[in-house]
Amino acid sequence: MCCDIIFRLKGILEFACQLDNPNGAQSQGTISKSFQGLQSKVSSKNIVLTVCNSPVLIWPNTGFQSNVESLTEASSCGDILQYIELDDSGTKKSSKKKDKKKSGPTVVNMKLLFEVTEPAGNEAPSLIRVSTQQHCVKMPLPLDCVLSVTTDESMATVCTGLVEALNKQLADMEEVVLRYRKGSSFLVPQPFHFQLPEPAGFTTVIYPAGVPDSQLQDAREDLHNRFKLPSDRPYLRRANAFHFPDAAYKDGYLRNPHIHLNPPNIEDAKLYLVQGVYSYHHYMQDRVDDDGWGCAYRSLQTICSWFQQQGYVETAVPTHTQIQQALVDVGDKEPRFVGSRQWIGSIEVQAVLNQLLGVTSKIMFVSQGSELTTKGRELANHFQTEGTPVMIGGGVLAHTILGVAWSENTGQIRFLILDPHYTGGEDLQTITDKGWCGWKGPEFWDQNAYYNLCLPQRPKTI
Amino acid sequence: MGRSYFVDEAVEEYLSGLQAAPGSCVTGLLAGQSSPQRDFVVLAVQTPHMESEGQPKASKGVSPLDDIDVEWVTEHAKQVSRMLPGGLCILGLFLVTPPELSKDAQNALKRLIFAMDKYIIKGRLWELSEEDVTDRVTLHICFKTKKLVCKTFDVKDPKSSAKPADWKYQTGISSSWPMLACSVEVDLQIPVTGSSSDNTDKCMKDGLRRWAKPIEAAYCLINGRQALDDSELISGQVKTLSFLCHVDSTEQSELDERSSALVQVCSGSMRVRGVVHCRAYIHNNKPKARHAAQAIKRDIINTVCSRVEMFLEDLLINEGSQKGAVVHHVLHVLLKGMVHPKMTILSSVTHSHVVAHVFVFLLYAVHKRRYFEEY
Repeated sequence: MCCDIIFRLKGILEFACQLDNPNGAQSQGTISKSFQGLQSKVSSKNIVLTVCNSPVLIWPNTGFQSNVESLTEASSCGDILQYIELDDSGTKKSSKKKDKKKSGPTVVNMKLLFEVTEPAGNEAPSLIRVSTQQHCVKMPLPLDCVLSVTTDESMATVCTGLVEALNKQLADMEEVVLRYRKGSSFLVPQPFHFQLPEPAGFTTVIYPAGVPDSQLQDAREDLHNRFKLPSDRPYLRRANAFHFPDAAYKDGYLRNPHIHLNPPNIEDAKLYLVQGVYSYHHYMQDRVDDDGWGCAYRSLQTICSWFQQQGYVETAVPTHTQIQQALVDVGDKEPRFVGSRQWIGSIEVQAVLNQLLGVTSKIMFVSQGSELTTKGRELANHFQTEGTPVMIGGGVLAHTILGVAWSENTGQIRFLILDPHYTGGEDLQTITDKGWCGWKGPEFWDQNAYYNLCLPQRPKTI
Repeated sequence: MGRSYFVDEAVEEYLSGLQAAPGSCVTGLLAGQSSPQRDFVVLAVQTPHMESEGQPKASKGVSPLDDIDVEWVTEHAKQVSRMLPGGLCILGLFLVTPPELSKDAQNALKRLIFAMDKYIIKGRLWELSEEDVTDRVTLHICFKTKKLVCKTFDVKDPKSSAKPADWKYQTGISSSWPMLACSVEVDLQIPVTGSSSDNTDKCMKDGLRRWAKPIEAAYCLINGRQALDDSELISGQVKTLSFLCHVDSTEQSELDERSSALVQVCSGSMRVRGVVHCRAYIHNNKPKARHAAQAIKRDIINTVCSRVEMFLEDLLINEGSQKGAVVHHVLHVLLKGMVHPKMTILSSVTHSHVVAHVFVFLLYAVHKRRYFEEY
């Protein structure tokens, strides 16, 4: 991604219209007229953009005016960063992590305001009363536009770009509202942002609220065609939406702790890593005390979280009980299994993934832990094509493999391990420092025990 | 230690010039501005006599104090408070009595002040903040001795008792009060469900409440700077004033739950459109920028509300059965029977900056005058 800054402009505009007959031929025209009114509102001189956590106010439609003298239309947009007060987000460790990598582009949040004290006209107030029966429709439109740019782009270009984006979004919203309207039932059009491969790039799609992804297959097929996206994996499900770096995850789980690690220093080795986003599940979370028996369950939860966040399933990550119940349902376990503290292995993980998520998995077997060093090519291929986290069980332990560093020439290999035996809190520093997520060498495995690996396969769907 | 009221000399003149029939009482309003430290009274207005069409009302009780028409006094207070510009409000009441009634005067004043405050704030769309002063002043004047007794009551607390207060006359209290003015375009579309006038009122109120929320929360820029903090407003330096509102009042939490439009079947709708001109004055005793912003925001809300109230009253009076027609009403109101037909402009405060028009009225003339002054 070549951009340094993402400008994100949000604001809620109220859509309102009066329909005499919602099923009549004229209603479409009335609706379109209301949208046109909103478009002229955002193109008017009274629109003001405010930069959150800063005193900056910009009037974009008056040939660029701002209340900060040194910020002019020719200023590079990177200059705006100096006016923003970074608030303390309250993370526990304020010191820089030694492995801190650039966490991506900076997000500048802006809000849409309207200057009410510059009236266009001067008519005295009047009241017009219409006494015919009408359907009065009111709906908030949650505008959310993004523009990704480099820091040297001028403020003028940024502002013009944002206003254009607002207009385009209103037009897209109108289309969605009309397409999914049934009589006087209107669905709120909601914007979702996606980081797509070129040529599409950073794109915003409008989906109707309340219509699940499963019913939007046709719309996605159209978009996959339009954006030249592969037709065998999801890119445009709601779960695939871009996660803005400054937004916290509401559920509290850590995402992708492995990105904060330095890769191992092996000559000639390439990295083959999990693709996309997963959550770190481990002992003691969700107020379940599974210390000593739940490691495979937690690894399975991590895998389920991957399928949810890549948009393959909409179901939540299963609990221990739900996992056990699934095994009873497929006949693999007796009913008394539910509520017990019995361990499970790769075969059970494969069965649950199939039962609850409809996901198939390949099983890989090694008769001795020392053999795992010979599986470099297979694991590398897995991460390249499927890119899903791998559950490995053997001896008395279960772990999750998130990737390998492997040299085709020398055969040297390291394993990126996510350890479900961690019992502490969601503290990234501890987890990376103490190796609960870390690169391990071949000696990590019990050289004599046999191991089974569960390699989940991506379903071919969008 | 009680409150201190700094009172303009013009008020002193007015009060000393009041006439009353022997043995009778005179009531009236005191208007001005309160600040946490002190209060300023710049205006006094006598309650007009109500001449009913029939015979004069028979005396109700034992004393002329019982004859005070509380409803009339409070209605007058409401009408006057509608006309005051931003920053000014009714601070209290005065009561002139003959000496023999002086000892009962306090009770009468207490009844009146609570009734008045209750009536004035009905239908108000903005909330009082913690800094707003809720003490109201009662001034008793003995007709014969001209002795003044000044006390305050906290109208927030129905059980509050009278507290002593200072009443000091000064010249030119309001002569250097900075004035903020702005024009606000209003365009409200309000659906009306049901057909009775009560319904109309309620729908209007709900619609106005929604409209007022972003105004109250708006960013206020004075001379291009945000008026957020306790920085002082420099008198005479206010060049520009603007309000920037979030474009809609929908809360984020409400938005998260809403997946479809709100559709109501209405018997009609009302649209209020036009430009209102608002102004507010702020005292010059170290005023803070955000108080100035608050005063004018409240004036915007009050102005639009009272315009709409008058439109609705007008509609009620002129209600025909014109179903299906678009009825266009412009600003003109008749409130027959509410006000004395004999117009007297009792006081025209001509100090340079404070509003020059406070008057006892026949509403027609009143609104016409304000109308023409604004447009």
